[in-house]
Amino acid sequence: MTLDRKPTVIARTVTRLVVPMILVTAIALLLQGHNLPGGGFIAGVLTVTAFALVYIIYGLDYLETELLDRTPAVRYETESGIVREYGRVFASGLAVAAGSGVAAMVLGYPFLTQAVAFLEHLPVYGELEVASALVFDLGVYAVVVGALLTILAEVGAE
Amino acid sequence: MQPDRFVVLAVVTLPFLGAALTPLVHRVLGERTAYFAAAVAAGSLALVGSLFGTYGTVVVPWIPNYGVSLAFYVDGLALLIGTLASGVGVLVFIYSGGYMHGEPGQAKYYATLLAFMGSMLGVAFAADLIALFVFWELTSVSSFLLIGHYQNAAASRYAARKSMLITVAGGLFMLVGFLLLAVVAAGVPEVDSAFRLAGEGSIIAAAEPMVESMRTQGLFVPVLLLVGVGAATKSAQVPFHIWLPNAMEAPTPVSAFLHSATMVKAGVYLVGRVRPLLLTDEWTLVFGVLGLVTMTVTAILAVAASDIKELLAYSTASHLGLIVAGYGMTEYLGAETGGFHILNHALFKAALFLVAGIVAHEAGTRAIDELGGLANDLPITAAVTAVAALGMAGLPPFNGFYSKEFLFHAVYETAGHFVSHGGSPLWWLLPVVAVFGSVFTFLYSIRFLMLFFGDKPDALGEVHAPPLAMTLPAVVLGGLALVVGLGGVAGTVGVHFTPLESFVGSVIESSVAATGEEGGHHGFSYYLPTEVTPWLVMSTVTIGVGAVTYPFFDRIRDGVRAVRSVDFLRPNWYYDGATEGLDRSSAIDLVQTGHLRTYALALSLALAGLALSAYAAAGVALPTIAYAGLEPALVVVLGVAVIGALAVTAAPSHVSGVLTLSILGFMVAIFYILGSAPDLALTQLVVETLVLVIFLLVLDKLPAFYGTIDRVRAARDAVVAGAVGLTVAVTVLLSTAGTPDDVVAQYFVENSGVPAEHGPTFVDGGGGGNIVNVILVDFRAFDTLGEISVVAMAALSVSTLVAMRERGEHQ
Repeated sequence: MTLDRKPTVIARTVTRLVVPMILVTAIALLLQGHNLPGGGFIAGVLTVTAFALVYIIYGLDYLETELLDRTPAVRYETESGIVREYGRVFASGLAVAAGSGVAAMVLGYPFLTQAVAFLEHLPVYGELEVASALVFDLGVYAVVVGALLTILAEVGAE
Repeated sequence: MQPDRFVVLAVVTLPFLGAALTPLVHRVLGERTAYFAAAVAAGSLALVGSLFGTYGTVVVPWIPNYGVSLAFYVDGLALLIGTLASGVGVLVFIYSGGYMHGEPGQAKYYATLLAFMGSMLGVAFAADLIALFVFWELTSVSSFLLIGHYQNAAASRYAARKSMLITVAGGLFMLVGFLLLAVVAAGVPEVDSAFRLAGEGSIIAAAEPMVESMRTQGLFVPVLLLVGVGAATKSAQVPFHIWLPNAMEAPTPVSAFLHSATMVKAGVYLVGRVRPLLLTDEWTLVFGVLGLVTMTVTAILAVAASDIKELLAYSTASHLGLIVAGYGMTEYLGAETGGFHILNHALFKAALFLVAGIVAHEAGTRAIDELGGLANDLPITAAVTAVAALGMAGLPPFNGFYSKEFLFHAVYETAGHFVSHGGSPLWWLLPVVAVFGSVFTFLYSIRFLMLFFGDKPDALGEVHAPPLAMTLPAVVLGGLALVVGLGGVAGTVGVHFTPLESFVGSVIESSVAATGEEGGHHGFSYYLPTEVTPWLVMSTVTIGVGAVTYPFFDRIRDGVRAVRSVDFLRPNWYYDGATEGLDRSSAIDLVQTGHLRTYALALSLALAGLALSAYAAAGVALPTIAYAGLEPALVVVLGVAVIGALAVTAAPSHVSGVLTLSILGFMVAIFYILGSAPDLALTQLVVETLVLVIFLLVLDKLPAFYGTIDRVRAARDAVVAGAVGLTVAVTVLLSTAGTPDDVVAQYFVENSGVPAEHGPTFVDGGGGGNIVNVILVDFRAFDTLGEISVVAMAALSVSTLVAMRERGEHQ
């Protein structure tokens, strides 16, 4: 996917500015999903678009060389490298989602029963609603991010 | 005494648990996993042993809506098969520890073998038709894996496929028979649970009204034949016996375990199990003839064998035929023959297989012609062989003699019974065929024994003594066979070996119809004949003719081989012809082109055709559509979307096509915004963007331009696309037009928000303002869990496919 030409300065600069914004928006969508538009799935897909932008503009190896400060693994070597880590992300996401259901069973409710708790008198927030569904949503988010990034990295590497 | 619920369930689950743990254990123990597996089998054996003396049903609900349960039934027959599966299992695992030394794939081998043992125990104890079928097929699957253990050998793969095709196809016949039984049982008031095969209020307990009901509905003969096909394929009855000799490609312990002592017994077990239900004149005709023909034909084929395992394989089929024939006979004696010979055959045949493994292992060849005079090098093995082979030949006082006497007795009495009740004198063929087949049994048994005597061929190198792990199991089995044989000698002088006789008696009870069988219910005992009877004469003739003709063994063998080589007499010729013909035929090429477009075409057309014809058949009318009151903004957005769709067809390249297509996607997103569905709109926008990116990445690899399209294909594609579009449009119209009274949406609206009065925590409501998300993560969280599993699986498949291609693999 590395382009023949280097992307323009405009594209590179805009990407630098936009990617953090996308990520913050994605996290906001994830957290507010219970009461306002958003949720784990949409937040996950949005996060992946941020990564896609980085991949397209800066190339596949950028994340590993610049951010993680290490030499990228040999291409096609799926046994190691960042693809493997993406795999861990979706695997743990699946575990979190299923685990949140099992937790309900441990407490004596049917599988995947969700609960809501209200915390009162917090600084800044005042009253805050905490939904156990957020844990499940976090699992969904991780699965979507991990899986789509795996696909993106694999297909991109082609 | 009622069996303990926990013990019965543990019997079936323990081997599966062991199988699941095997890969981990193998990492720690390596080749010594054999002893772990033997310990699991010993645990099962102990559990089965603790069930002795109990009798009854244990039920665990499984699919209560359909009345299907995991019901287990404990009685003599179930205990016999269970004891064989776990007992022979212990010995085979110990033996494997020596035999499989240095072989590849041991973790897989032991895991599969343990899983097989669990399935076989399931078959033995299952009292529910569906549960029985499931365990039955599980044994077929594990047998497939074990036969194909050497997966790089073409012969192994061929053998595994063949056994799978034949036994699983037979299993499907049996399933149909079971379902017919359940359908009939549902209409019989005496049956409490339509799928319950044995136990109180079951199909077999209500045998008489069941048979009556089947007869009035004309289902008796179909059920009999369908169940018969299932049993015949599993137990390698003629003409389905052909998979068994090939199955000898498996490692020898597997042959001893699955293909002589247990799995092939599943078929005769089924025959013995349903015998009280289906025993009639038709039953005798079908199973009597099937059994005797199998016994004779495969005994003759065993004489022609050139390999010791091949000989034993045919001989196994032959003895299974003997058991089936026994169960086929009407008298109490018939059940005696079947039940007792299951035990005897398992003992001597498993011992002989282990002997064959020792011979192959130590002498380095399995060819009959290359072996001889092994007794000097393998004295213990020779002694075991003598006991087992003479039992197989039916020579007194070895164990096979008694059950063969029962067979002769049963066949003689049955033939006499039918002829005296006005039947055709052709019934007298039964005893004649029984004797004729037994002569060949005698011949090949002696031939096997003679491997250990006579001159040792010069070509045969040095023969080492086998390891203890291999000798011991064979000695145990041979010793048990000897004990059973000597029990008969003791019985003659009035000393009865009571535990054995009462156990065999309880096995026989399982196969005896509850009412009115001639011969009555007497305790089981066996002993050497003390007076001259027709069946003693039959035995004497068998042994006499066998002894006289044995010197001409080679000429008989060559004669049989000449007959066997005629193509149209060989079931294998038909099997190979059918499978190879199917492989080569152009019909397959037409359907399986290997092109994605062909499959997509067939799938789309079939879907459209089925859906549209279903609508037509249901006679639904298209709802009228009200165009009035449509917002202008919606019209504009959808208009642009349609234009975008049309423009795709005119796009000159892939890239422009995909870009044009995304116009459609973004218009749909705007449509969602206008329709006050912000969640959907957000998702649609982001997904559309991401899909566009991935599309462009993939398209990079494809040719930039479409090239010219030939008109016929374009027309064909247009028709398919039109049909699919029409189907979707009609479906949308129909499904949105329906307004059911009980709307689930109402429930979601009421329950997803925060209730007006609530404590600091609550679990019964969603407690969220965003209904869509509350449905996703709370009300329908199970669905979502399934969906994210699919997403994860998709990612895994992409990784795997890419990795496979990089390693140069195709497909």
